[in-house]
Amino acid sequence: MYEGFLDIFDVFLEQAAEFYVWDNAVYLFRAMMTTLFMTIVGCGLGFVFGMILIYLRKTPGLIFLPVRLAMIFYVEIFRRVPFLVLLFLVMFTVKGFGLDYSLFTIACISIVIISTAFIGEIIRGGLDSVHQTQWDTAAAMNFSRLQTLRHVILPQAWKVVLPPAFAFFVMFIKDTALTSQVGILELTQAGKYYNNLGYSAILSFGTVLLLYFVLSYPMTRLGWWIEARLRDRRRDDDDELEIGVTPYELRRT
Amino acid sequence: MNYTFQWGEAFIEVPYLLGGAWITLHLSFIGFWSGATIGLFGALGKTYGGPLTVKLINWYVIFFTNTPGLVTAFFIFFGLPEFGILLSPYHTILLNIALNSGAYMTEIMRGGFVSVHKTELEAAETMGFTLLQQLRYVIVPHIAKVLFAPLSNWYIWMILGTAMAAIFGVEELTGRVFNRAAETFRSIELYTIAAGMYVAITILASAILVVIGRWAFRVKVKVF
Repeated sequence: MYEGFLDIFDVFLEQAAEFYVWDNAVYLFRAMMTTLFMTIVGCGLGFVFGMILIYLRKTPGLIFLPVRLAMIFYVEIFRRVPFLVLLFLVMFTVKGFGLDYSLFTIACISIVIISTAFIGEIIRGGLDSVHQTQWDTAAAMNFSRLQTLRHVILPQAWKVVLPPAFAFFVMFIKDTALTSQVGILELTQAGKYYNNLGYSAILSFGTVLLLYFVLSYPMTRLGWWIEARLRDRRRDDDDELEIGVTPYELRRT
Repeated sequence: MNYTFQWGEAFIEVPYLLGGAWITLHLSFIGFWSGATIGLFGALGKTYGGPLTVKLINWYVIFFTNTPGLVTAFFIFFGLPEFGILLSPYHTILLNIALNSGAYMTEIMRGGFVSVHKTELEAAETMGFTLLQQLRYVIVPHIAKVLFAPLSNWYIWMILGTAMAAIFGVEELTGRVFNRAAETFRSIELYTIAAGMYVAITILASAILVVIGRWAFRVKVKVF
C-alpha cells in the first residue's frame, strides 16, 4: 500500500512537470475567462429581465391579472427546474427547431432563464422591504409608477437587493460548471480535456478546482464586504433619518 | 420550424421516469442526512472546538462552498480509483453530495447554535430543569425554529442538485431521461416531462415541509 502511494506520487510529480507549462496556463486562463464571461452575461441580463419581470408583477388592476399570474408562474416554475435539465431542454429545443445558435449562446440563454427567476425573487424581496407608506406617499405626490420606482423605491431597495444578488452571481460561477455537458470549453471542460489526455485526475481536476476557488473566493469576500458596508450605511441612514425626523416633528408641534 | 412533437411516445416512458424520480428522492434524502450529520459536527466543532479545529473546519467550509459540486464530483470519481478505491457511481455521488452539503450545512447550523442565548439556559437552570429537560424544552425548540426554514430550503435545493448525478451514470430522473432520449430521440418532450416532474416533486416536498414545520415546530415557514 505504502509503495503504491509512492508510485502514484512519482507519477504525479512527473506529470506535474509536464502539466504546468505556459501553453496549458494560457489554455486554462481562456477557459476561466469563458466561465466568468458566461456568468456575467447571464446574470447581468438576468438582472435586467428580473427587474422587468417584477415591474410587470407589480402592475395594478384586474386587467393585468393574467400578466401577474404569468410572472408568478414563471418564477415558481423556473426556480424548481434543475439547471442541467433546463440546459439540455434549451439546447434540444434550439437545435430541434433548426436554429443555428452557438453553444455559448445556448448556455447564456439557459443562465438568463434561470437567473431571471431567482434574481426576480431577490428584487421582489428588496422592493417589499420598502414600507408601503412610501408607495402611498409617492402616489399622493402624483408620481407615476415608474417615477415612484425610480425616485423613491429603488434608492432604498438596492441596498437590500445587492448583497443577495451578488451572492447569487458568485453561486452561479460554480453552477456554470454544468455547461461543460453541452460541450462549452469552460474550466470544467478544460479539466476533462486534460484528464482525457492522460493526466491524473488529481492534477487536472485539482488544478481546475483551485482555479474555481481563485475565481470564486475573492468574489465571496467582496460580497461579504459589500454586505457589511451596506449594512453600516443603512444604519447611518437610519441615524440620519432620526436626526431628520426630529426637527420636522418639532416644527409640527 | 421543422420539429414535430410526438408526446405519445414520450408519455409511454412516464412510469420509467417515475422510478428515476424515486431514486432522485432517496439520493437527496440520504445525501441530506449525511450532510446534516457532517454539518452538525462541523457546527459543534466550530462553536465549542479549539482554535485548530475551528481553523480546519473553516478551511473545509471555504473550500467546498467556493468550488463547484460537479468538479469535486469529477475529482472524487476519477481521483479515488487512482488510489485503488473503487466506488459505484451512486456512492461516489453520495459522498460528494454529503461533503458538499456538509460544508453549507455547517454554516447554516452554526447560525442555529448562536441563536440559543446563555440567559435562557441560566433561566432554565434556575427553574430546576435537568440537562435533558433543558435540551428538550429550551435548546432543541430554539434550534429547530431557527433552522427549519433554511434546512428545508437546502433540501429542495439538493433535490435539484442531484440532477448532476446523471452525468456520472446514476439512473435517477435526469439519468433515465438521458437513456430514453438517446433511444427515442424525443429529447424536447422527455426533458419537458422531466422538468415538470422536478417542479411537481419540489412543490410537493415544499408543501410537506410546510406542514411538518407548522405541526412539529410551530414555525410559519416560507419554503423555497
